[in-house]
Amino acid sequence: MSAYSVTEPTRSSKWFAGLLVVAYTIITLLPLVWIIATGFKSGPDSISYPPKVVFEPSLEGYVNLFTTRTRIASDDFAALPPPETWYDQIVRDTGMVIAGQSRFGERFMNSVIIGFGSTFLSIFLGTLAAYAFSRFKVPLKDDLLFFILSTRMMPPIAVAIPIYLMYRELGLSDTHLGMILLYTAVNISLAVWLLKGFIDEIPREYEEAALIDGYTRFQAFRKVVLPQAATGIASTAIFCLIFAWNEYAFAVLLTSGNAQTAPPFIPTIIGVGGQDWPAVAAGATLFLLPVMIFTILLRKHLLRGITFGAVRK
Amino acid sequence: MSFLSGLLRLRRGPWENLATVLIALGVVMLMQPFFLWAYTWSFLVTLLGTVMFIITSHFPE
Amino acid sequence: MTNPIDIAAKATPAPVARRVRGLSDRAIAWIFVTPTIFLLLAINIFPLIWTVRLSFTNYAANRPGREVEWVGLRNYTRILTDAGTWENMQTTAHFLIWTIVLQVVIGFTLAWLINRKFKGNDLLTTLIVIPMMLSPAVVGNFWTFLYQPQIGLFNYVVELVTGTPASSFSMLGPGGLAKWSIIIVDTWMWTPFVMLICLAGLRSIPDYIYEAAEVDRASKWRQFWTITVPMVLPFLMLAVLFRGIENFKMFDMVVLLTGGGPGNETLLASIDLKREAFEKWRTGYSSAYAIILFVTVFGLASIYVKALNKVKER
Repeated sequence: MSAYSVTEPTRSSKWFAGLLVVAYTIITLLPLVWIIATGFKSGPDSISYPPKVVFEPSLEGYVNLFTTRTRIASDDFAALPPPETWYDQIVRDTGMVIAGQSRFGERFMNSVIIGFGSTFLSIFLGTLAAYAFSRFKVPLKDDLLFFILSTRMMPPIAVAIPIYLMYRELGLSDTHLGMILLYTAVNISLAVWLLKGFIDEIPREYEEAALIDGYTRFQAFRKVVLPQAATGIASTAIFCLIFAWNEYAFAVLLTSGNAQTAPPFIPTIIGVGGQDWPAVAAGATLFLLPVMIFTILLRKHLLRGITFGAVRK
Repeated sequence: MSFLSGLLRLRRGPWENLATVLIALGVVMLMQPFFLWAYTWSFLVTLLGTVMFIITSHFPE
Repeated sequence: MTNPIDIAAKATPAPVARRVRGLSDRAIAWIFVTPTIFLLLAINIFPLIWTVRLSFTNYAANRPGREVEWVGLRNYTRILTDAGTWENMQTTAHFLIWTIVLQVVIGFTLAWLINRKFKGNDLLTTLIVIPMMLSPAVVGNFWTFLYQPQIGLFNYVVELVTGTPASSFSMLGPGGLAKWSIIIVDTWMWTPFVMLICLAGLRSIPDYIYEAAEVDRASKWRQFWTITVPMVLPFLMLAVLFRGIENFKMFDMVVLLTGGGPGNETLLASIDLKREAFEKWRTGYSSAYAIILFVTVFGLASIYVKALNKVKER
């Protein structure tokens, strides 16, 4: 007789559950699919009624995202030499000419610089602190850990005022360094808590053996613990990166031009008569795509990340 | 009652629970739509609860 | 603390550490921890103390030349007796309560369904989770597009399903729907969060408990209420507290979706605070406001950490 399990769901209940979850998945992904699709629509298609499900794909949104355009008098327009490139052509088709580059590329690069900079710094500092918290008797350990976590909970606006004043004094406002330090301070709590969890899981015997072999504590940390914690460090890094990438409140309050990241910039993409939706959608797609990919890579550690390492499975 | 004796002997458990209740009460008072006086005093209640929580979480188990 | 690694780690004799060359463990611990603490002191605690100080003054950051006066507790009493601010708190409460209720109901149901372990549940879980990792600002911005009357996808779908003409209502305009529009987006975004944590809770329940209940002939309904719910509850508490804290200080998504409008209909506390601080430049007043929000969040955060440790013990 095959083992009968009371906890194994029946076939029909599995089917039913599967169907409902698939339905939910479709509904929840619809807005995302719609945004990605809108990025490939032409201007008129994007605002047609009823909304167009089938449309002729166009790169207008992406071209508009990276360029600024002007309308010129029709006589001058007719006198122009034929368009040189495919994107020239697309813009001409809408009755305009390219005036220059937009700031999107710059803002995107700012996001990349600030994101990677702060991630690197928080992982560097976080790994050290996490190792110390995991392996040594640090005085007031629980209080320090709570203190570290509580900084993450702080409402950004509550500290934004003095940070604004402080950065103004120090000349850090609207600089990459200022934003990197700020995001590091926010991310480090997550880094310490997550990494402590990962390092806790590495058996101490490995280091003890290394110490007996004559390694110093620091060498043991570098050559034994770090390689063992590599997966944990990588997934923690992705979490930090995603946070810095997505952050808006500090970015909008403390940056205006030079160090502005993409999230405050994307909503300001304006076309003729309101927001240029295909361009906004194109920007959103380019901006969100890396996060979607990272989410899929992270799926095994997602739960840990969102609960500061408390829930492991 | 063990709750009261725990309070009297300065044990962590009951004091922490009391602080938790105060914090929750303060948050409810802050956001309820019924009494303006409750809103006015909410901050003090939350502050008291929070300070109490920090102190009493160092009491022995 | 039941996993074998921890036990093995504890069993390692302590004296080993003493024979180590190089820096002492104590020194290393300090060197490793200090930079982190220092950074947090500089960028979190120092500004916080500064905020406390400012909250007792009438300082205005856009007029640095003006003489600063100490006003004692006046900023606090003004905020805490102001009916307008009180109303913003209620707006926040409306947002908080409904997002939590919806996310718990939908999230738990989804987790419960996914826990049937049908084929492909891993893939679906990963797909469902995507919205919560996205940038709230960008999400808020593109939902304004979906919410456009006439051309927006949301109104169109509502028309298809219920027959209400798409142009007859505007989710972001006047008419009382705006406070629901932010709840819908937040629920869309964060239900997966509650779902993931509930799923972990459900998976932490050992099979033998159900088997024992089955031997006792407890009905499925009874098993659900006496086993499943109590066992998942600590996890659910964690999720609720975290969402509560996050939504209490909600700023980015809502500011881009409605900006607090129409009128003051979706003016959440932190958006109000941002206006006071960075548009009206009442720095002293808004510092007191910030401290009130901060203490509330900090209080909730202490409960959260307590809940966190409870779950950790499982």
